[in-house]
Amino acid sequence: MPAPLARAWKPALIAGIVVVYVSAVGLIEQFAEVYAIGTQVSLARVLLLLPLFLAGWVATRTTVERGERKVLAMPQAALSGAVTGLVGGAMVSIVLLAVDAIDPDTIGEVLIAVSTKLLGIVSFDQSLGTGIVLWLVLGAVVGALGGVVRALSPGARRVVLAGPLTIGVLAILQRVVSTAIKELGFRPDFLYDSKTSGLTWAGGIAAAVIVTLAVVGRDVLRSRPEAAAAPAARPAAASTGLGGFTTRQLVQGAVAIIAVLALPWVIGTALSGTVGTVMIFILLGLGLNIVVGFAGLLDLGYVAFFAFGAYATALLTGAQVNTTDGAGDPAFSLGLNFYVAIPIVVLLAAGVGLLVGSPVLRLRGDYLAIVTLGLGEVVSTLVTSKWAEGLVGGPQGMRDITGGDIGPTDFQNNPRHFYYLALVFVLLALYTSWRLQYSRVGRAWNAMREDEQVADAMGISTTRYKLLAFATGGAIGSLGGALLAIQLGSLTPRSFDVNVSILALAVVILGGLGSLRGVMVGSLALVGLPGFLREFEEFRPLALGAVIIAIMLLRPQGILPNVRVTEDIADEDRDQDAWARAAAGQPATETSAVEPA
Amino acid sequence: MTAILQLNGVEKAFGGLKALDGVTIDLNEGEILSVIGPNGAGKSTLFNVITGVYTPDAGNILFRGRSVVGLAPFQVTTLGISRTFQNVHLFPQMTVLENAMVGQHCRTKAGLFGALFPFGSTRREEARIRERAVAALEFFGTRLAGYRQRQPAYVLSYANRRRLEMARAIATEPTVLLLDEPTAGMNPRETLELRDNINRMRDELGLTLLVIEHDMRVVKGVSDRVIAMDYGKPIAEGTYDEVANDPQVIAAYLGTKAVG
Repeated sequence: MPAPLARAWKPALIAGIVVVYVSAVGLIEQFAEVYAIGTQVSLARVLLLLPLFLAGWVATRTTVERGERKVLAMPQAALSGAVTGLVGGAMVSIVLLAVDAIDPDTIGEVLIAVSTKLLGIVSFDQSLGTGIVLWLVLGAVVGALGGVVRALSPGARRVVLAGPLTIGVLAILQRVVSTAIKELGFRPDFLYDSKTSGLTWAGGIAAAVIVTLAVVGRDVLRSRPEAAAAPAARPAAASTGLGGFTTRQLVQGAVAIIAVLALPWVIGTALSGTVGTVMIFILLGLGLNIVVGFAGLLDLGYVAFFAFGAYATALLTGAQVNTTDGAGDPAFSLGLNFYVAIPIVVLLAAGVGLLVGSPVLRLRGDYLAIVTLGLGEVVSTLVTSKWAEGLVGGPQGMRDITGGDIGPTDFQNNPRHFYYLALVFVLLALYTSWRLQYSRVGRAWNAMREDEQVADAMGISTTRYKLLAFATGGAIGSLGGALLAIQLGSLTPRSFDVNVSILALAVVILGGLGSLRGVMVGSLALVGLPGFLREFEEFRPLALGAVIIAIMLLRPQGILPNVRVTEDIADEDRDQDAWARAAAGQPATETSAVEPA
Repeated sequence: MTAILQLNGVEKAFGGLKALDGVTIDLNEGEILSVIGPNGAGKSTLFNVITGVYTPDAGNILFRGRSVVGLAPFQVTTLGISRTFQNVHLFPQMTVLENAMVGQHCRTKAGLFGALFPFGSTRREEARIRERAVAALEFFGTRLAGYRQRQPAYVLSYANRRRLEMARAIATEPTVLLLDEPTAGMNPRETLELRDNINRMRDELGLTLLVIEHDMRVVKGVSDRVIAMDYGKPIAEGTYDEVANDPQVIAAYLGTKAVG
């Protein structure tokens, strides 16, 4: 087999399967009318060709043959990428011919997404013959681009990719960005086409050029000699703590604070609602992160705390239960003010955490996961049951939950107001997590996560710290539930099924176990993205599965892993040099002579 | 000389196998006592019953005159008996310094509220934890000093992992330290260095040590007394020379010639 083909067939095969798969499940048809830029580039077309680009990228990787690293030079890289793209395109073409031969509508009786219309979309709205030619040509071109980009130096790659990525982000966030422009009092016509709602060619290219220039400018500034010296001074600056912020950091901080405060007024009412939901899941993620990320206790029944927080808030603030003929008083009810009720809810949730924690203290890993899954189901079933009708409305749920308003606010009906309430809760939870992370308690949790028996042998009461983790995690999760009660004003048990536990866990794992920034990114990606791009909603489970598999295979530590670990490895050489210089005054120790590591 | 740790007729069986079969040992304050014996003689089980991992089936274990039988491992550690493991067990994802700081856990108090409101006493306590953890790491000179303290433990070399495990045990501020094969897997040079370190643990830190060791040069170089075990029982006790020349010990290690 010639060398480019040997590299190409596997990535090409996978890319071809991905293309056929996303088409067959209906993703492509869903996005056919969502335009990225102009009327020529729909998200469907991007989605069709992106696998081939990635295949070209993968095929051009550096390989090791008989102990020798083989780095591909530019012409070979282009060739290898092109061959890969061509093979992938050919694969798709074969499937297209086969589908056409069998008759798409017959196949559609089994795979409902397959139709003559889909065949047309996948053939780039051309006749089948032209479509196949296009697949071969575009496949080779896109694959070659993938190979070329891979072969570039990291600096050049950043510059080349900046523009296309900008267009991609603007296209995916078209609803967010165009609303933001409108809210700021401008007309988004210069950037987004009002008919297709995709980017205009002029606007898209202008944005891409601006971002590319910004990246180039930054790289040029960084490469100046005085800037190059800066990283060496960083450890000292980082350790000076509160008072030691640089001007740059202060400016960045101020910009971030203003952005966070102004956000709901920029993105509009509807999207503020989405962001509110994202923040509820940030709370769930932060709480679960304490249990799973810090203490290493795999809890699949976390929805229990979410439900408890919501229903406890409703009951303490005097909500009504739904009955078959209207509303009635629940069996237990207090008419507390929301802000009086919240601390009580949190304390009670911590108590529930102890309750959930105590029967599972002896369990670990898989066993713990299964038992907590069961406990979560018990809670879901309980609130749905007839038996709980008198207290929480059973299947009918509850209504007339307080809005928790202070003065002129309207949290229930105005998502913009709700955003600020949610923000306060999230900041509280963030502060708690952040403080705990590097405290004596956090270290005990981490030690327990790493090795329970050894933690015990080093003087840590694992019973005590497991219970503390469940209680703290539960308390934070209940805040999410309380927010949901406020946001909706009514509750149904449908909001509290096992999917919440799984989504919360996915948020934590996707972002990176134990990482606070990761929880925020994970929640934005998994809860926010489907809200920003509605066509995506239907395919969330599919994307969720695909993304989690990819993350686990390619980046098991998550998107934004716990900083200290990665940073320390990345900075190792620099640290070693700095330390060696500092220690240079001392006589050379035997350390350097025998140290094998 | 007072016995700080006393084992009286300790027995522990796993199924039909008697891992410890009536072990009586006195560990005197300030001494280094080595335990030798072939594999499966019950040496590690001995450590595990002392530290509360296993509860003995019979017999008693007294630490400073108080029975520690039935206590959980963390309680035994808090009382002042710390240990290392035969196969190194660190907290690999935590930094070297944090590993040692975990050792200080049982000597400090800060809880949830201390973490949330870091004022006065919590702040001082955290500073003290750090200080003592660094001091424990610096027991091994420059080996665990400087930039290494900020690295995750899993990047350390094998010998340094063993050292870190000992530093972590020292950070619990024990009176008695149990070392389970501290030089296993180390090269000759590292072994000699560690031999000196074990002596320094007693001389500089004032620890009483119970050491399981296979390397006879180390045993010879550190031991005030040596106990040889076989089939869960002490078979000889005395100075290194006495034990090393004991016919029963030689038989246990080399096997007895079948009498024909």
